[in-house]
Amino acid sequence: MDNGMEGMLDTYLFETNSLLDQLDEMLVKDEKIGDFSSDDVNEIFRIMHTIKGSSAMMEFGSLASIAHHIEDLFFYIRDKGIDSLDPEHKKELFNLMFRSEDCLRGQVEKVENGEPLDTDMDSFASEINQFLKKISGTASEEPEAPADAAPKGQASAPDSMTSAENLPADGSAVCFLHVFLDEGIGMENLRAFMIVNSLKECDVDFRHYPSDMDSNPETCAVIVEDGFYLAFDSAETAAVAEDLLKSQGHIRSYELVMVPQPEPEPPKVQEAAPSAGAAPAPAPEHREAPQKAAPANAPVKQNLISVNLTKLNDLMDIVGEIVITESMVTSCPELDQLNRDSYDNFMKSARQLRKLTDDLQDLAMSLRMVPISGVFQKMNRIVRDMKQKLDKDVRLTLIGEDTEVDKTIVDSIQDPIMHMVRNSMDHGIEDTADERIAAGKNPQGEIVLSATHTSNEVIISIADDGKGMNPDQILAKAKEKGILVKPENEYTKKEALGLIMLPGFSTNQTVTEFSGRGVGMDVVKKNVESVGGVVSLTSEEGKGTTFSIKIPLTLSIMDGMKVTVGRSIFTIPIANIRQSFKITAEEIIYDENGNEMVERIGGFYPIVRLHQFYGIETEVTRPEDGILIWVETSDHSFCLFVDDLIGEQQVVVKPFPAFLNCFELKNYGIGGCTILGDGNISIILDIPSLHTATLEGF
Amino acid sequence: MAEQTLSNGELLETPELDEVSTIERCLTFKAGDLILYISTRHVIEIINNYSITNLPLVPPYIKGIINLRGQVLPVVDIQMRMGKSEAEAGNETCIIVLDIDSVSLGIIVDSVRQVIDIDLKDVRPIPLKRQQKLLDGMVTMEDGSVFMSVDCQALAKAQY
Repeated sequence: MDNGMEGMLDTYLFETNSLLDQLDEMLVKDEKIGDFSSDDVNEIFRIMHTIKGSSAMMEFGSLASIAHHIEDLFFYIRDKGIDSLDPEHKKELFNLMFRSEDCLRGQVEKVENGEPLDTDMDSFASEINQFLKKISGTASEEPEAPADAAPKGQASAPDSMTSAENLPADGSAVCFLHVFLDEGIGMENLRAFMIVNSLKECDVDFRHYPSDMDSNPETCAVIVEDGFYLAFDSAETAAVAEDLLKSQGHIRSYELVMVPQPEPEPPKVQEAAPSAGAAPAPAPEHREAPQKAAPANAPVKQNLISVNLTKLNDLMDIVGEIVITESMVTSCPELDQLNRDSYDNFMKSARQLRKLTDDLQDLAMSLRMVPISGVFQKMNRIVRDMKQKLDKDVRLTLIGEDTEVDKTIVDSIQDPIMHMVRNSMDHGIEDTADERIAAGKNPQGEIVLSATHTSNEVIISIADDGKGMNPDQILAKAKEKGILVKPENEYTKKEALGLIMLPGFSTNQTVTEFSGRGVGMDVVKKNVESVGGVVSLTSEEGKGTTFSIKIPLTLSIMDGMKVTVGRSIFTIPIANIRQSFKITAEEIIYDENGNEMVERIGGFYPIVRLHQFYGIETEVTRPEDGILIWVETSDHSFCLFVDDLIGEQQVVVKPFPAFLNCFELKNYGIGGCTILGDGNISIILDIPSLHTATLEGF
Repeated sequence: MAEQTLSNGELLETPELDEVSTIERCLTFKAGDLILYISTRHVIEIINNYSITNLPLVPPYIKGIINLRGQVLPVVDIQMRMGKSEAEAGNETCIIVLDIDSVSLGIIVDSVRQVIDIDLKDVRPIPLKRQQKLLDGMVTMEDGSVFMSVDCQALAKAQY
């Protein structure tokens, strides 16, 4: 595939996926109400139409065909009005739509993976058609003309349609060419317009209807259904055009229609009508309804562009450089040699620069932020599907959907959230409503998915009001699996609950479709930790379970505390720091191996001397001279002994050069480095791996 | 990152076959008692005003990292890399910044001499078995002095 095609494919996938997401959101929302609003019917019609068109253009036949059938279905519904369906049918329609959406998604996924598409879509298509027949049979006594005509693809349409009443109003025309395009080719309006254009290029004088086919996507449906008309002032030109049409592609059939007799009063000249946005006048009668709806469902033009993520990353890098360079310039020692006036002038400009760079940084960071609602909406669907399969009545409440998170984080937390929602559905909520009633709860279970911001992190929590977890059961299970590392009775409640996040743990006895393979929570934990987040859970038996994920807002820029050890400057992520304090030698407690510990707020915490671990020469070795920094990660808490605190700074995280990869510094608590304002480099400590390296090695 | 190292690893294994001309422009420099040379293809620049940030937990010949206009660059003491004592900082001590198959690093040398043309046909292998193989050839110049060739691929591997 050449580059152009590749780019088109990217665009196609992006568009189709976002359309499907939109569809999903709409379906879930509407299903809750149990009804489609007429706007949504139009919207679904439009979505299917777009998918059909672009799929046909990309020659993905199966996608185009499914979309085509759904389009037909919704064409009918749109025509008759959604209220003509009885509730039973609506329910069926929802199920059908969800399945169609899955089917489309499946195909799109195949396109993404470069696999061949399913060619046989007939069974699914006929299912849609059957449903269409069913609703059209009962919905009204009217002849099922539109319903039948659409799915069958106007096999017999030309004859019946080209009666004089359907001819476009054109006073001066003596004859029309009625042209039908090939079925399912997509972008009918544009293809028709191309044919019109190529005829015009051959100096044929005529007018075409719908006259705004090039600018109004709505005409597409009209052309699919009824073909389009070319109006000629004389039979001779029509004959010339007829010859030319033979050389054009994608034309299924055409026929010459003579105007029976000139209209007594000539209607307004169509060409004069402004083409953009005007409803096509020559539309056949039964098309009036959709046209009235057109302004409502016309896609709102959004001022959005999609940008490649790597470009944003590059932008972020450069902004990071600018921030650093700016502080290098403004803290340049040579500035002191300036005289007072010029120094003041310089500082004035420097302050302005700082403000601009701050703004630039904020802006660049905000570019990468996307609302979390995309992920949340997907959960609606999961809950809906599981609700049916597990036969549990659960409602999902979403809070803080508009919380914005860095794009890379959104991508990496989707799976963890999905998994936890499934867990809550499957294990959390009681199996039957009776159980819930017996426990004095609302028979309908509730899962609350919420996202909130703090200054530098996002907290996402998944809370269910189900049966909760029993620490003893978990312990027993863990013992059975042999994953306990200390005697059973030494586990606190919190530690016991934490066991479910170990690899190979699954409390469900049987493996279900949704969960129970025991690869769940540890993967969740790993995924979340890979973006610097932490997972924690609280559970109360009989009341429910809450999982919380804390994730830093953005990965590349963070707040750090600079500390010195000997001549080195280390940066500790503020997010990991709990407290810093001074101690005296007497406060240090030793174990039998001489390892140091300190008591703090009722707990004992090991002390890690950074200068010892990293072998750095320093004069600060007595506890009184240095300072202890109490750090914590998701499940560990310990103290670092350093020489001194320098201060807090926002730093841009840079990875180490590839040259150093073989030393696996990441496993020894060194997460990356950052360039300080004075041009020096500071090493960023990675607290979780530092803990592993220093305290778990023996 | 993992991908990059992988591709580097592959590159390292491909022998250099693309020599059409056997004349190579080389930068000569002094490291301890030896005069070494390295193809100018790999040399990006020479810097002499730097402050090195030490890295813990790495072999002593890796002096640390420097900030070269925003790029973080590892710095290797080439004398220690050859198993000798640490280079003494002198007036002419400088860092040669190299790019070896897109692995960037700097090497600390005692002084930089000049750029000369070396005919690769004149380069002889070093007839000794050594443990830490960093040099892969020697050439005698017209004035009788002997220059040694630095094995860039070996240098680009941080560990040996």
